[in-house]
Amino acid sequence: MQKSETGNRMNPYQPIPARILKTFDETPNIRTFVLKPEQEVEFLAGQFIELTVPGFGEAPFTPSSSHFKRDKLEMTIMKVGRATSALFSLKEGDMLGIRGPYGKRYPLEKFEGKEIFIVGGGVGLAPLRALFLALTHEVEKYKKIFLRYGARTPNDIVYKSLIPEWRNLKRVDIDLSVDVGDESWKGKVGVVTVLLEKIPCDAKNSVAVVCGPPIMMKFVTIGLLEAGFPGDAVYLSMETNMSCGLGQCGHCRLGPYFTCKDGPVLTWEQVKDIENPFV
Amino acid sequence: MEPRFLPSTKRDNWLGQLAREYTLFFPARVEKKVHWHRLEAEDLESGDSGPEWGLCCIRASEPIKSFLFSPREQVASFPDRLEPEEPEKRILFGVKDCDLLGLKVHEKMFLEGDFKDPFYEARLKNTILIAADCPDPEDSCFCNLVGRKPYATEGADIVLSVLDNGYLLEPLTEQGEELVRLGGDAFQPGTEAQIARRDEQRKAAVEKLEKTNPKPWNPEVAKAMEDRTKDQAFWRKHAATCVECFGCLMSCPTCFCFLLYAKAKEAKVERTRIWDACYLAAYARVGGGANPRAEFLKRFINRFQCKFMHFKNQHGFYACSGCGRCFKVCMGKIDIRKVLGEL
Ligand SMILES: Cc1cc2nc3c(=O)[nH]c(=O)nc-3n(C[C@H](O)[C@H](O)[C@H](O)COP(=O)(O)OP(=O)(O)OC[C@H]3O[C@@H](n4cnc5c(N)ncnc54)[C@H](O)[C@@H]3O)c2cc1C
Ligand code: SF4
Ligand code: SF4
Ligand code: FES
Repeated sequence: MQKSETGNRMNPYQPIPARILKTFDETPNIRTFVLKPEQEVEFLAGQFIELTVPGFGEAPFTPSSSHFKRDKLEMTIMKVGRATSALFSLKEGDMLGIRGPYGKRYPLEKFEGKEIFIVGGGVGLAPLRALFLALTHEVEKYKKIFLRYGARTPNDIVYKSLIPEWRNLKRVDIDLSVDVGDESWKGKVGVVTVLLEKIPCDAKNSVAVVCGPPIMMKFVTIGLLEAGFPGDAVYLSMETNMSCGLGQCGHCRLGPYFTCKDGPVLTWEQVKDIENPFV
Repeated sequence: MEPRFLPSTKRDNWLGQLAREYTLFFPARVEKKVHWHRLEAEDLESGDSGPEWGLCCIRASEPIKSFLFSPREQVASFPDRLEPEEPEKRILFGVKDCDLLGLKVHEKMFLEGDFKDPFYEARLKNTILIAADCPDPEDSCFCNLVGRKPYATEGADIVLSVLDNGYLLEPLTEQGEELVRLGGDAFQPGTEAQIARRDEQRKAAVEKLEKTNPKPWNPEVAKAMEDRTKDQAFWRKHAATCVECFGCLMSCPTCFCFLLYAKAKEAKVERTRIWDACYLAAYARVGGGANPRAEFLKRFINRFQCKFMHFKNQHGFYACSGCGRCFKVCMGKIDIRKVLGEL
């Protein structure tokens, strides 16, 4: 957490500077930013940060790099609107601001000894990568890690160059699908739920982790529950509007929760009574 | 601490002493309303104490949150840093118990969570609160329904009761005690008769409130509200006359929502915090345009559930003080008591 330089009173609204070391395009509208924050950001997988785009404003994003390597912070971001477009116009060497980390981490201690079934859609693989890297860093603690990822087309797959390396990791099982394939695509074709058709783990005793667009979250959750995953072992990244990230401004209200403080990852058990939790 | 009596004739003397050390605001009566007014020490000396004091009136039109949680203020800048400055020392002279409940809600939100708001904290620390009893609650008051009284017993530095020829002051904190000490021998120990008179006035005020609002709410309001979540007809009926002006939220002493936005000056960012309203259509909209509360009815329900269900469940009391501002300003005449009374 950031300490004020002028006194011991901390200003939680004040970002710290972070330089863009490198950027690379994952897909036509998704880019990974490698940042070097002035101070180490002590995040843990699942937590998010508020990014200040100079000359513009703030938006919440999740680090996609490993929390075991915090000297640099990577973020994989999709261009969807005003803040993200401003971000895409920045270059290597430019400065950004960072506040955080905020929210709760994944409770990795509850994942120990279990099979972990991770399902991502689109840019939703970004936060899941931070989790995946944290898990594989101490892979002996977990029984097996399944990663399932769906994108619109082969061109829309993020981390294309990394996935082949991940496939070689021990206790890791990866499967991909695209909504629409092309000549070179040899994997599954169909909406992301095709990845749930044969779930290779003992669902009742496993945990599932999901992040992706709302419609995908909804159908994947239904599929996972049908497959027997317990509601309190299905971890969902909830996207709500956020302003402060501090649990004060009210914007991220989701039923009884403030997702910035109680989330952003909540279990199905926590959100099941909320009318339309995935909007 | 022991109640002390200040005769009316000595009041301005004491106020003058306070106003020299603090910026002092008091409730002034302007036509039929009460507004916060700044007391100038010089005015007192010249024998002109400004507008008529409204210590015995109900709460002012403006909630006192404006003094602590500013409607608009810069809270950060980038790349240069911004840190809170030492705020001026203030006395709010004549706050009502319902005002204090608002502060209690804000303390939960801004000071007792995972992060402290240093701007709020600094202002609160430099603010002295002198509460004044409400001897004459109005029809719009319903503090009795939210479990409060028309007089303070905690949360202020001094509690003041206006008696026939002076004031009975009960300091609750060391800071309050000090202010009384500043008045020196203008203050006398409160007598039993004075205390009895105060208690009589308080009892009459409570009785008046109970007459205005005789029927207590369902003690399980939070639960009842949850059960009603999907009862569209119920909410539609109550929301029917709302014109979405957000006056209710802007005048509410407990509403805490805010928005951080950036005023961009080239590569610089000035981050400003402004009051926000959960009734606004874009309030919950996310990147790309999806909106979980696109429909107004959902936002209407959300406001009630925030105050009476979620806040109550989490903190043990309603985020509503019974001050009645929301329906006094309401063009659609939506009376929150009616909604709650039907649960
Ligand atoms: C915890 C969390 C983690 C996230 N992690 C990632 C990540 O790792 N990668 C990623 O790509 N994305 C991530 N997102 C999503 C990302 O925050 C949004 O895509 C981003 O905020 C979009 O900003 P924008 O300005 O470009 O979008 P816009 O669509 O332009 O607008 C975004 C904001 O402006 C408001 N807004 C939009 N239109 C209006 C209007 N007409 N009037 C008023 N307000 C309006 C919205 O309410 C929203 O708050 C995450 C979101 C959350 C909550
Ligand atoms: S609601 Fe109660 S405390 Fe507030 S002004 Fe009315 S009587 Fe006084
Ligand atoms: S909801 Fe209405 S009555 Fe309750 S505190 Fe707010 S303005 Fe006052
Ligand atoms: S984003 Fe402000 S309370 Fe969650």
